[in-house]
Amino acid sequence: MTDHGQKNRPDPDKLLELAARETRGKLTVFLGAAPGVGKTYAMLLRARRLKEDGADIVVGLVETHGRIETAELLDGLESIPRKQVRYRGKVLEEFDIDASIARKPKILVVDELAHSNVPGSRHPKRYQDIEELLWQGIDVWTAMNVQHLESLSDVVTSITGVTVREIVPDVVLKRADDVLLVDLSPAELIMRLKEGKVYLPGNAERAAAGFFKPANLTALRELALRRTADRVDDQMIDLLRENSIEGPWATGERLLVCVGPDDLSEKVVRTASRLASGLNARWLVVSLTETDDAGEATGKRLDELLGLAERLGAETRRVIAEDFVEEIFRIARRENVTQIVVGRPRSARWANPFRRSLPNEIIKRFTDIGVHIVTGEERGISYAAPSMRQRSGPELAKAIAVPIAATVVTTLLGLAASDIVHAQNLSMLFLVAVILSGMICGRLSAVIAAGLSFVFYNFFFLEPLHDLSIAKPHQLFSLIIFLAVALMIGDLAGRLRDQVAQSRNQAKNTQALYEFSRKLSGTARLDDVLISSASHLHSTFGSGVVILMPDDNDLSLQAAWPPDLTLDGTDMTAARWAYEKNERAGADTATLPQIGWQFLPIHTSNGVSGVLGLSMDDQPGLSENDDRMVTAILDQTAIAIDRAQLVRENAKTAALQESEKLHTALFSSLSHDLKTPLASITGAVTTLRELGSRIKAHTRDDLLLAIEEEAARLTRFVANLFDMTRIEAGTLKAKKLPVDAAEVIASSIERMKKLKPGIVIETSIASDLPMVNGDASLLGQTMFNLLDNAAKYAGDGPIAVYAKQDGEEVAISVTDQGKGIPPKDLDKIFDKFYRRVKSDGRAPGTGLGLSISRGFIESMGGTIKAESPAIRKRGTRFIVRLPVAGPERAAVA
Amino acid sequence: MNQHRILVVDDEPQIQRFLNPALAASGYEVIAASTGAEAERLAATSAPDLIILDLGLPDKDGKEVIETVRAFSDVPIIILSARDREAEKIASLDLGANDYVEKPFGIGELLARIRTALRQQAAGTSVPSRFEAKGLVVDMVKRLVSRNGEEVHLTRKEYQLLVHLVLHAGMVLTHRQLLASVWGAAHVHDLQYLRVFVGQLRAKIEDDANSPQFIRTEAGVGYRFIAE
Repeated sequence: MTDHGQKNRPDPDKLLELAARETRGKLTVFLGAAPGVGKTYAMLLRARRLKEDGADIVVGLVETHGRIETAELLDGLESIPRKQVRYRGKVLEEFDIDASIARKPKILVVDELAHSNVPGSRHPKRYQDIEELLWQGIDVWTAMNVQHLESLSDVVTSITGVTVREIVPDVVLKRADDVLLVDLSPAELIMRLKEGKVYLPGNAERAAAGFFKPANLTALRELALRRTADRVDDQMIDLLRENSIEGPWATGERLLVCVGPDDLSEKVVRTASRLASGLNARWLVVSLTETDDAGEATGKRLDELLGLAERLGAETRRVIAEDFVEEIFRIARRENVTQIVVGRPRSARWANPFRRSLPNEIIKRFTDIGVHIVTGEERGISYAAPSMRQRSGPELAKAIAVPIAATVVTTLLGLAASDIVHAQNLSMLFLVAVILSGMICGRLSAVIAAGLSFVFYNFFFLEPLHDLSIAKPHQLFSLIIFLAVALMIGDLAGRLRDQVAQSRNQAKNTQALYEFSRKLSGTARLDDVLISSASHLHSTFGSGVVILMPDDNDLSLQAAWPPDLTLDGTDMTAARWAYEKNERAGADTATLPQIGWQFLPIHTSNGVSGVLGLSMDDQPGLSENDDRMVTAILDQTAIAIDRAQLVRENAKTAALQESEKLHTALFSSLSHDLKTPLASITGAVTTLRELGSRIKAHTRDDLLLAIEEEAARLTRFVANLFDMTRIEAGTLKAKKLPVDAAEVIASSIERMKKLKPGIVIETSIASDLPMVNGDASLLGQTMFNLLDNAAKYAGDGPIAVYAKQDGEEVAISVTDQGKGIPPKDLDKIFDKFYRRVKSDGRAPGTGLGLSISRGFIESMGGTIKAESPAIRKRGTRFIVRLPVAGPERAAVA
Repeated sequence: MNQHRILVVDDEPQIQRFLNPALAASGYEVIAASTGAEAERLAATSAPDLIILDLGLPDKDGKEVIETVRAFSDVPIIILSARDREAEKIASLDLGANDYVEKPFGIGELLARIRTALRQQAAGTSVPSRFEAKGLVVDMVKRLVSRNGEEVHLTRKEYQLLVHLVLHAGMVLTHRQLLASVWGAAHVHDLQYLRVFVGQLRAKIEDDANSPQFIRTEAGVGYRFIAE
């Protein structure tokens, strides 16, 4: 029996929830029936006991309300200092959630679960603070009175007459790991009150007299006891489920609750909530609307209603259907619903031929399902009632004016044509008026037109004329038929219009989305994608749009529309929240709702890749429709971001491949540079060893000289490589001491002449050349490199070296008379391993000299640049500039 | 003694600097070229007996020089190349170069290669009827192979492979060259054939197949038969 097997297996959802609970902190709620029963006292007493046992328990916030016994209990318990919050000129003390998270105790005591935070706090409600604490893995103890439970607030109001403002969603209590009832009999409580042991906030004192009546207290106590008992039941069932113990534990009841945008529905939801918790049943709340674009007000109403239902622990669903009863039937079958809850207004004020009572229809349709009907004075769900659609003033005026005009014109036309056309056929003309009205202004107009047509036709065209009475029975019959046909056609025309409007609207949205996605598909750069999305969202909603993406581990503003938008610190906090927690934050959400932005995470295939911010300054929140639109645009954006990032990756890969190619070229050039001297040396040495006796003396000397020179070449090359490595690794530390540049230049020239004896070097060094700030050995090597470079390219022409003071700098130039460097290559010559190709196609040298020179000069705080052509369209000039040594430095030296 | 004339093609003056006196001291007449164009001209006009060619030339790729020279002459060409340029070596050998020497090299090694190449050239097209070295006898008339007096049984392909190696003793033969001459042009990429047959051949003629003294592997390039 598979069913049996199924039942025996623990519910996977339950297990998942359990797993989540492992890391989540545990919530313990001290539940009381009324203020003054001693919740705080009980909580602190337990806290002390645990503390004495060595537990890490800290008081986050406790209101003693001046009660000495309670205050005494606080002694010896660690407390988190309260935060000072400035609000409307007053300084208020609030619970410091950040400090608590930073302290991260095992258990934190935070009193008054139902408390509303000062506007501007991170969360508007304390239970949201506590949710975050739990999420951080901190166990929380808190206290509340049963009257604050959302599902009971209307009951409490009806019992006590006091409106409860601070509300805690039922799920908070439902998800609590432990609920402890702090109980006190009403008589005792009243006694405590009389003794002044119960603190009541100033404005509540007036209500207190009425509130603390034995009858009220008894009722509240019963509520608290029942709630706790329910929880015990739940825990029992959970325990059985976790341990896979087979029933009979499940009632198996499932409620389907039907609501609409009407006033009665809220009551229906609350009633259903109590019913569901009483039956221990899962419940599904379905909102029913006929069209998708039900209007702003209706949408918002439904949002609120379903939000309430969710907080009370229901599943919710939005349903758009023509035939409510059929849809309800379908859902009921699919979801194995056992009971249906629906509202019915107590009295129908006016009879409407199109309006049927939804509860009646449901009762008729279902034979095996219990139907609960919630009655009330409020108006119930309108079912197939065209007249119930909300219209704006001008719209309504139009809806009435158009059918009147149409029928009057038809009547006039009919009167004009009555001589040629038989009155019987004129009815067709009126049908046209009905259809036109329906098509232009909807069903209401069609109905009006039908009614008017009926009257006018009868009055002006049926015998006896100018009278609403009817002479012949067959005319009565055709008149009734006419009315029926007019109504039907009018209704159809109206529906058609609605549908056309709706699909046009949808087509418009789809078209806009299509345009957008086409625009996006043409953009491969991430910046362009972000800007496109931002501007599209802006044009769709008219509000400011920002997009933030992570940059160096923090979010930063990447695109904004209008482009001058900025975010302040709080906005950024909300944005980060949305990014890190992967949930909406800011306006119209539970996190930082006071700010003017709503932030939505952008999901891509790589997780959350950024955050979208919508300015909410001018609007209370996103309507259902807008929300869907935003989500659709966001999806498109996410895909485009994904693609842009892929393109970027590709470009990176390509660049990497390019650099790999470069490396290969570099490597082969390096290997050639190293191997040629080695090959010469090896060849010369082996020749001397093996053939020495057969070689003439002067050739032997030449081979030995070749070995020496090649070894020197190798040494220089290796030294260059080391210098380059030092520069690149940043370990090169140039001294900055006064240096006599003239002396350094002279010794470099000396060195060069030794290497290349035939070289011609002309010098012109100012006799009053000041000292420069620098490093003599690095400057010497630079000069040598520049001379070496010039010698390679100079051909046979002389090399000119000049040095003079130029303002606060000394300029040293080395000019050759070679072919010069094409302008496009001029900025590349300082690149590592860059070489100009000689006329014979062969690149001489290592390609490191100039690069090293630049590294040296820059490390000394100087500059180096190249100019070409230098003189008479030929040659290259290198100019080194170094700062003149200051007098104080010269003095030190 | 008929003095051999060697054309040395290298753009590095340092290499010419020791190579020319060394070759002259070994009894060769040396002519030098430092570019590809010059090399081609001298190869055509001064009838060298052997060309030593550096592949990295300033004006053109050394492989182009091989192609040009091979169009009119089968003069032995010995390549000077770096160890890490395997693909270049193979391409050169396939284009018709006879051998290669890796830089840096000792002069003795180069001289040995020169001698082998010149000897091969002198032997010309006349196929020897008998080969004998280190106890291995290959009788190409009777198609008999013996090792230390004992007859070795070879399959047809093994025999063909051995003969091809023996005829080019001392020279490197690329995989491609061996495959083409033994298995035919259609099989030049079937390196696996060659590996298997060389393995079998070694097992039959070598004392120790793991350190062969006849068929030496030129890693990544081909095989060389060592006769002395």
